Amino acid sequence: MPANNPGPIAVRRQMKRREFLKHVGRGGVGATVLVVGAGRARVSAQTSSPYPDWIPASTKPPKRGGVLTRASAWDPPLLDPRLTQSVGLFQFAGLTSNRLVRYAFPDEASGTSDLSLKGDLAESWQSSSDHRVWTFKLRQGVKWHNVPPINGRELVAADVKYCYEAYAKEGVQAFTFREIEGMETPDRYTLRVHLQTPNVLFPQNVAESVTVIFPREVLEEDGDLKKRLVGTGPYILKEHTRKVRVVLTRNPDYYDKGRPYVDEYVILSTPDDATRVAAFRTGQSDIVWRASLADVEAIRKTNPAAVVQEYKNVLTPFGLALAQDKPPFNDLRVRRAISIAIDRQKQVDTLFEGHGFLGWGVPYIYYQDQPPTAAQLGPWWQYRPAEAKKLLAEAGHPNGFETTIFYYEYFPQMTSQVQLVQQDLKRNLNINVKITKLDYTTYYGRYVESKWDGMAWGFQSGHAVGLDERTYMYMHSQSTKNFFRVNDPVIDELSTKLRQTPDRAEQRVITRKIVDREFDQVLRMWMPYDNGFLVFQPYVRNAAALAIRRTDGYGSPTIARVWLDK
Amino acid sequence: MHKYIIRRLLLAVPVLLLSSLIVFGLMRVMPGDALTALMAESGNVGERELQKLRKDLGLDRRYHEQYLIWLWQMVTFNPGDSIFTNEPIPVALKKSIPVTLELATLALILGLVIAVPIGVLSATRQDTPSDYTGRVVAVSGLSLPDFWLGTLVITFAAIWFHWIPPIGYVSFWESPWRNLQQFLLPAAVLGFRLSAATMRMTRSTVLEVLREDYVRTAWAKGLEGRIVVYKHALKNALIPVVTIVGGQLGTLLAGTVVVETIFALPGMGRLTVEAILFRDYPVVQTNVMLVAATLVTLNLLVDLSYAWLDPRIRYR
Repeated sequence: MPANNPGPIAVRRQMKRREFLKHVGRGGVGATVLVVGAGRARVSAQTSSPYPDWIPASTKPPKRGGVLTRASAWDPPLLDPRLTQSVGLFQFAGLTSNRLVRYAFPDEASGTSDLSLKGDLAESWQSSSDHRVWTFKLRQGVKWHNVPPINGRELVAADVKYCYEAYAKEGVQAFTFREIEGMETPDRYTLRVHLQTPNVLFPQNVAESVTVIFPREVLEEDGDLKKRLVGTGPYILKEHTRKVRVVLTRNPDYYDKGRPYVDEYVILSTPDDATRVAAFRTGQSDIVWRASLADVEAIRKTNPAAVVQEYKNVLTPFGLALAQDKPPFNDLRVRRAISIAIDRQKQVDTLFEGHGFLGWGVPYIYYQDQPPTAAQLGPWWQYRPAEAKKLLAEAGHPNGFETTIFYYEYFPQMTSQVQLVQQDLKRNLNINVKITKLDYTTYYGRYVESKWDGMAWGFQSGHAVGLDERTYMYMHSQSTKNFFRVNDPVIDELSTKLRQTPDRAEQRVITRKIVDREFDQVLRMWMPYDNGFLVFQPYVRNAAALAIRRTDGYGSPTIARVWLDK
Repeated sequence: MHKYIIRRLLLAVPVLLLSSLIVFGLMRVMPGDALTALMAESGNVGERELQKLRKDLGLDRRYHEQYLIWLWQMVTFNPGDSIFTNEPIPVALKKSIPVTLELATLALILGLVIAVPIGVLSATRQDTPSDYTGRVVAVSGLSLPDFWLGTLVITFAAIWFHWIPPIGYVSFWESPWRNLQQFLLPAAVLGFRLSAATMRMTRSTVLEVLREDYVRTAWAKGLEGRIVVYKHALKNALIPVVTIVGGQLGTLLAGTVVVETIFALPGMGRLTVEAILFRDYPVVQTNVMLVAATLVTLNLLVDLSYAWLDPRIRYR
């Protein structure tokens, strides 16, 4: 995604051509061996890293003051949370603004996968017995930033109501908030939300990083929120100069007294990856993301005291999307044949230097404790070219067919990934795939319109943490976010049932069933993806990233708990 | 001379009109628009809402209407607002033009400071080690791409000196020293590249002029070498060099995306490329027209400078 791409989670380093060829060479040898032994299930090999995937909170008493700086790839296109879900905006909107509910911060969480909900603007919340009515009790004494036009007035329930109505009215969050049938504010600090259908996961939806509460005054005065970002959060937006910097200054009236600790958070627009690394090396940036272990080691040569957290992804944002509502992809045998004709492990070994994983769409932490092994992904995720050929012949395509794929290159390896898929399909199934590489806007326009034929290199949005978002919103046949064009009555039924199931253990069982069904029917053909590393300056405390909440991205609210030990 | 200038200015009108048609047409041929770029990913925006937003932004009008409205805006020096950010385009330009102008000027100065003396040295000491060195430097400048050189410079500056130019643009008037720190390295990278072509051109034209009769006469009169080369030869050798430098300045003012990106400078290049990616029609169109007008003006100035360099040239 360009510097301000509103898209899937990670930004990667560029793999050098020589390095790539070396890996592909290795992969080629490996592939030969594996073709000979095809049919045996392989486990996903991940290179072990010497760095921890979790950094517990500091036990020292926090220090106040200092400036935290980060060279960032992303630049906010505009400040209106109704109009964009760009990580460029939400790398700091979660600091200027609050949500009703939030996920645990690193200094409260038991580990990266801790998804417990905490009150943000709401102190408590409860649902009616049928889970159609949710009542949120707001904190008293929360003040908007002391800047015009609100000038520090108190936030009340009517503000939240106004904001949710505005989200439902137009913009990128409309689908989520149209679930609301109506809202009442029985008193200044109580918001009662009536949903059209029961949803036990509704609090998760309003805990998403993008559901920030904005003031009615700005929208009414300006007609939009493109220029002013005012909230109730720990930081006040002091400066936003596009393509230069965002400066956030500590909000002295923040409801969580004593926090935040850092006086100023400066985000420097730095589109070039090498420059971001150089900025970290020279102390101009306190946090940097690296996609490979080799990159981390290179940084540690000049900055041996740097603190590294291995960031293990719990889902993959990219996969092969098929026009499964049309022939030939509406035939399950064709989808299965394609899936088992693709050597995913080769992609992991070559493109992701062994540090990747095979790929799944629903975060595994919602249905099991450990990342799925290759075997757990089921038979249609194993590389079995002979079986694939047979299945395709049974489906009436013994000689393969012609098809197309379009994609946008989110990171350099993606082009190689698409080409490897093309090679696998040609070699194993005689499917000729014509590749079209598109620019960002053309790709989005075509992909989300969902009228394309053939195949697309599909994605799911990177911001969502919640289970409802990752299942019902992305897979239900009636959802506007169902980009993979899933139309499966079992998935519809299960994802709806999930919304009506309050028990966590039962939720895990249903989620497991959804995932099994997805894998069995090859509804979304996930492709390998890799893990990465967050590198911090040694004096940065409590900045660990949590699952699906990277500190330097949608997990930005974490910065409210960061302090500088210097 | 006045007649010549007026004729050239009148000729510029169809050039600019044609440019406006080409840029307008090309932007509309590209699939997608700013709204697609901005909102579509969320999947939350229905076609009906998109249509409404397009109507609000005037993107649903017929192409010829959109073109005429924009043309009028350009003629009246009111290019409108960015449809992506809502920022008035003159404000965006006011921020990015000084950056590009400063970078271009510094790069050009550095380029000339490197190119002309080495070019002259190469020419006057033809086929000596200093000539070979100068030629190697010139060929290197031509063959090393900006992105490679820029990345190398910033990476090794960080590793060896634990220093890189401060990130986060600051204007010269705000902090001259910090501003110069930010611009010197990128200007040097650009200047090195620019100097290559200028250096080669200076060398070959000086070599040519040094063989002219009047130079031989100057030598025969017993003039000092420095005076022969710099007063008699160099000035006459500069016409092709000025043509090249004029072209380079035009390219620089259009924005140097790669160097601006590597050194995080918010110049015209980044503004235009981002606007293209996000289909911000008014911004792209205005920037392209600005560049076209600048190139036309620069060409005219370059042509006019010939008379100053060579008094034999007359304009009719």
